[in-house]
Amino acid sequence: MAGEPLVQLKNLSKTIGDKNIIKELDLTLNTGEITGFLGPNGAGKTTTIRMMTGLMRPSAGDVVIGGKSIQADYEEAIAQVGVIVENPEMYKYMTGYKNLLHFSRMHPGVRKERIDEVVRQVGLQNRIQEKVKSYSLGMRQRLGLAQALLHNPKFLILDEPTNGLDPAGIREFRLYLRKIAAENNVAVFVSSHLLSEIELLCDRIAVIQNGELIDIKDMHSLQKSQYLIVAEPAEQAGEVLKGIGFPVEAHEKGWIITTEAEHIPGAAKLLVGAGLSLYTIQPYRTTLEDQFLEMTGGGQIAEARAK
Amino acid sequence: MLKLVQNEWMKLWSKRSTWIMVLLLVLIISAGIGIMKWTHKTQNIGIEEDWEQIVMNELQFNESQLLNPELSEVQLAYYEGLVEIGRYRLAEDVPPFEPDSMQQQILNSYTMLSLVTLFTVIAAAGIVAAEFSQGTIKMLLTRPVSRWKILTSKYLAVLLFGLLLIVITVAASAAAGFFFLGIGEGQFLAWNGSEVVEASFWSESLRMVGLSSVSVLMITTFAFMIGTVFRSSSLAIGLSIFLLFAGTQVVFLLADFEIVKYYLFTHIDLTQFYTGFMPVPDITLALSVTVLIAYFLVFLIISYWTFSRRDTTA
Ligand SMILES: Nc1ncnc2c1ncn2[C@@H]1O[C@H](COP(=O)(O)OP(=O)(O)OP(=O)(O)O)[C@@H](O)[C@H]1O
Ligand SMILES: [Mg+2]
Repeated sequence: MAGEPLVQLKNLSKTIGDKNIIKELDLTLNTGEITGFLGPNGAGKTTTIRMMTGLMRPSAGDVVIGGKSIQADYEEAIAQVGVIVENPEMYKYMTGYKNLLHFSRMHPGVRKERIDEVVRQVGLQNRIQEKVKSYSLGMRQRLGLAQALLHNPKFLILDEPTNGLDPAGIREFRLYLRKIAAENNVAVFVSSHLLSEIELLCDRIAVIQNGELIDIKDMHSLQKSQYLIVAEPAEQAGEVLKGIGFPVEAHEKGWIITTEAEHIPGAAKLLVGAGLSLYTIQPYRTTLEDQFLEMTGGGQIAEARAK
Repeated sequence: MLKLVQNEWMKLWSKRSTWIMVLLLVLIISAGIGIMKWTHKTQNIGIEEDWEQIVMNELQFNESQLLNPELSEVQLAYYEGLVEIGRYRLAEDVPPFEPDSMQQQILNSYTMLSLVTLFTVIAAAGIVAAEFSQGTIKMLLTRPVSRWKILTSKYLAVLLFGLLLIVITVAASAAAGFFFLGIGEGQFLAWNGSEVVEASFWSESLRMVGLSSVSVLMITTFAFMIGTVFRSSSLAIGLSIFLLFAGTQVVFLLADFEIVKYYLFTHIDLTQFYTGFMPVPDITLALSVTVLIAYFLVFLIISYWTFSRRDTTA
């Protein structure tokens, strides 16, 4: 069943020295759903992911994966997780294949055929017997993805996974994640700075700033059906549109109305009927980037926060 | 656990430096024996003298040692044994192995274990630290395997590597000895406390190698601990090698103080009970073993404690 809660971050907090790096994060991730994790540099994304994977011990709170606490039942909890933390560092002096063999030995029940299968999925079959030293950044990312998928995890955590992938690679990667989320019911948690990428990939986004979760948004509800209308004189056009009863917002060029497509011809008729010169009616989309910058204020890295 | 050790073993041998160390070990041992043969040949050492003369000289020296009032009981017993063996050889006409013989090289092979210490320390220092410096630690620790198991597999791999190097040392000494010097005449004799008996030079060699291995084990475990705690292999190698050389010197500085009896390097060379060279004469084998075990446990506890508790930020 899709959409069941699989992972819960409960009151997750981390204090290092006197810095509150993560503050009481509460978040639920569902099966079959891809959640984007956004935040400016230094917001605490990597730290959160380190705590979710047991690399760091939370100062307070817990992470529960499939009913198992990462602190109390570490092995059972982590067995369900595939992860890439920041750059996937591999043993450069070994071949890609030996790297995968190495990690496969750490999971019960991963067989050699599974390694071959994963290698094919990430498209590395022609280079897998070469040393990782000789790989490009994108090839390393692919190998990183391969090691995260080896044991068929129910939960995939990816910290900036598309860093270094070429456009075709990014597209392939996106389609692949969508596919395993839909078909295998995997919950995916992706942190990234590439907002356009997140926009295409995710069902939901969680925004973190200064260690606090400031927003969780559903991507589908994010895209309201809106139209930009440019007509002269602008003042009068605004009055007319408000008169019809549309929610109207000012825009530098004209007005933005929120409505369904079927109301547009009527609106056009009324505008023209009122004697206005109508220049443009076009669908209007706010990009995730605009919204992200609006939410986080953009700009400089927040200073280290005292308790 | 077997699979984890297999992993560590695979990583170890995937590094070129490991192969270079093995190669160096074999080369240095063979070259040492080859050069010895060559210098002896050009200087006619050991060819002119007959063995009775050599044994006689040694016997005189050992007898004079028995009169030395500063010697401890252990040392006196040691020289007593040597004297008895020397007298037996002359009386019964039993020659020792010629110095230029394969058997004598095998008997001496334990002295080459300092090289093994050096190489095993390099492996031990890097086996945890390198995971941190390469950033691979986060790949290793996000698996359904607890941290103590991972650390144990690494420690076992290092021990296995050390053991392999020790076997290679003895084997290379035997092979080079056979190749350059050939099998020599002679008989190994031992003093069992009441009489002189014929004994196998193999068992004597193994005993000395075994006793020297304790020192390899201690220094290696120390390097493993430093590498795990500070996550820096160069620091661990540097500190271990420094200690290996400076540590024994400090024994002499501390010799007049009680504390020397609890100092690691007073005890680390267990062959001292069989070679008579004891910087602190009034210690016993039992005390040494106890002190060594205590240090060993402390090293391991510190390693496990830091490795399983600390946050991983690499
Ligand atoms: N070991 C540490 N000791 C002290 N402060 C730390 C430590 N690790 C991280 N921080 C601080 O915690 C904050 C969050 O860091 P984190 O790496 O989680 O950010 P991030 O969201 O992943 O940033 P980026 O987008 O740049 O990857 C930063 O202010 C960082 O300086
Ligand atoms: Mg980060």
